[in-house]
Amino acid sequence: MPTEPHQPLICVKGIAIMCIEMFYLKRETSIIRQSEFRGNHVFANFKNKLCSALALLVMLTATAFADDPPPTPEDLTKIKTANAECLSCHSEAGLKKLPKEGLDVKKLRNYLVDLDTYTGSDHGQMACSKCHGDGYDKHPHAAKAKEGLSECQDCHARKAMRIERQFDKSVHAENLSDSFTCATCHDAHVMTLASKLRDPHKIVAQDNKICLDCHDSDLAFAKIAPEKKKRPPIDEIHSWLPNTRLHWQAVRCIECHTPTEDKLSLSHEIQNKDKAEKKCATCHSANTSLNARLYRHLAKEEQNKYGFLNSVILSNSYVVGATRNPSIDWIVIGLFVATVLGVIGHGLVRIITTRMRRSKNHD
Amino acid sequence: MTNRVFMLPLWIRLWHWSNALAIIVLAVTGVSLHFSNPELPLVEFSLAARIHNVAGVCLAGLYVVFVVGNIVTGNWWQYVPKPPGIIGRCLTQMQYYGSGIFKGEKEPFPPTPEVNFNALQAVTYWSIMYLVLPVVIATGLIFLYPQFAPDRLFGLDGLLPIAMLHYLGAAVIVLFAVSHIYLGTMGPKVSSLFKMMITGWYEH
Repeated sequence: MPTEPHQPLICVKGIAIMCIEMFYLKRETSIIRQSEFRGNHVFANFKNKLCSALALLVMLTATAFADDPPPTPEDLTKIKTANAECLSCHSEAGLKKLPKEGLDVKKLRNYLVDLDTYTGSDHGQMACSKCHGDGYDKHPHAAKAKEGLSECQDCHARKAMRIERQFDKSVHAENLSDSFTCATCHDAHVMTLASKLRDPHKIVAQDNKICLDCHDSDLAFAKIAPEKKKRPPIDEIHSWLPNTRLHWQAVRCIECHTPTEDKLSLSHEIQNKDKAEKKCATCHSANTSLNARLYRHLAKEEQNKYGFLNSVILSNSYVVGATRNPSIDWIVIGLFVATVLGVIGHGLVRIITTRMRRSKNHD
Repeated sequence: MTNRVFMLPLWIRLWHWSNALAIIVLAVTGVSLHFSNPELPLVEFSLAARIHNVAGVCLAGLYVVFVVGNIVTGNWWQYVPKPPGIIGRCLTQMQYYGSGIFKGEKEPFPPTPEVNFNALQAVTYWSIMYLVLPVVIATGLIFLYPQFAPDRLFGLDGLLPIAMLHYLGAAVIVLFAVSHIYLGTMGPKVSSLFKMMITGWYEH
């Protein structure tokens, strides 16, 4: 097994995380204070600024330690060798040629990792033992080792705090608060950040799979849903959405099922049908919200290709009402106005000349 | 004393008015969809989409009625622009619309049961009915089933050319409809041609 190369850093990281947590608490309380002591706002402002400056300093130092440097090629070789040992049992190939007799193959089948998918994922350059802690140092490991699994927030403290506040308001927290963890949706061996994937089709495929794995399967749904809760038939409840399944290939469930407020990333406040977006024009309009959502990572690349609005979306999808060409629209509107004015003018001249002729005939 | 001559059988009149209704509905909902704006909705998007789909399928059905009816009754011949001297006849017609009508001149080619349309009408109707409308209907049907659209084209979504043809074709039809309604007032009386389109009888 590889030795943990950044062991001393973990303590620093722990302190850093605490500092960040304090910063967030401080910020929240300072927001409350601000509203409480409006009359004394100069003092409050100064104090807040001082707090923020200190917290920022702490945070900057903390972030420097919290983000591990990328592994060197030697590290990577070590990690690869170590991971190969784990995969000698925990992979499809390993299952066929188990290094040890008497293993429970049926159980093992639930804990397989696909090497290519894992390598391509966000955690793909990490040793298995980074998260699968102490109990896994020995190989083969004891069955109880599972208890030593690291939690996501051990590394992702800042993110976890932000996400938890959002998650607490979500329909998942409402119905499943205790049993629902990050890993319920996010398989750490598979996930890649949308900003890294970039290709909207890939982002959509990855993210919708998470939702549909449970919400499109009675078996998976029943595993974690509260008792007596029946899975709503996913196609039926979305039948109002034209070309439903095609929509799901082009956009994510969370495009409609999360609120829009969060600027940093999409919110983890998954909303049920009562709160979810149902207005088509939110996406289907010139000022489409897709720019702030699925296409947020590409929004800077918008080039108004061929003069089209939102042409960055157009490279993947034609979105009625959003991906349109203002120049062509103006020509069409101009021709329409000209035709209407033309016939009105022609009609008026006809009326006038007819009257003139009539009065001439009377004379 | 006015002369009456029977010009249009019932099926053509029924087809014409259902077609007109479908096109008006499609134009209004189509504008709502293309220029969709949450602050300024003409028809709310999902409602417009539903109506547009239903009316679009109706229009496609009516087009089949039009083609089959024309073949069965031989009415298709009316639409064929007949070459010898057609350009001259078109110019004469344009001259009438452009100046003759203001001077109180008689219509150069009034409709008869044998020749319903003047040359300009024949050319326009033929182009609209056999070129533009089929394109709009075909692209509309692909829009209903976008999985049949090409996947990608010139680095952009394959639905783009379909959408553009649909939009531009529809725009041509709307422009045609505006002029068509206005030219309907060009009979012996302002109301004559509208009356004919309802009763089938041309009074002159």
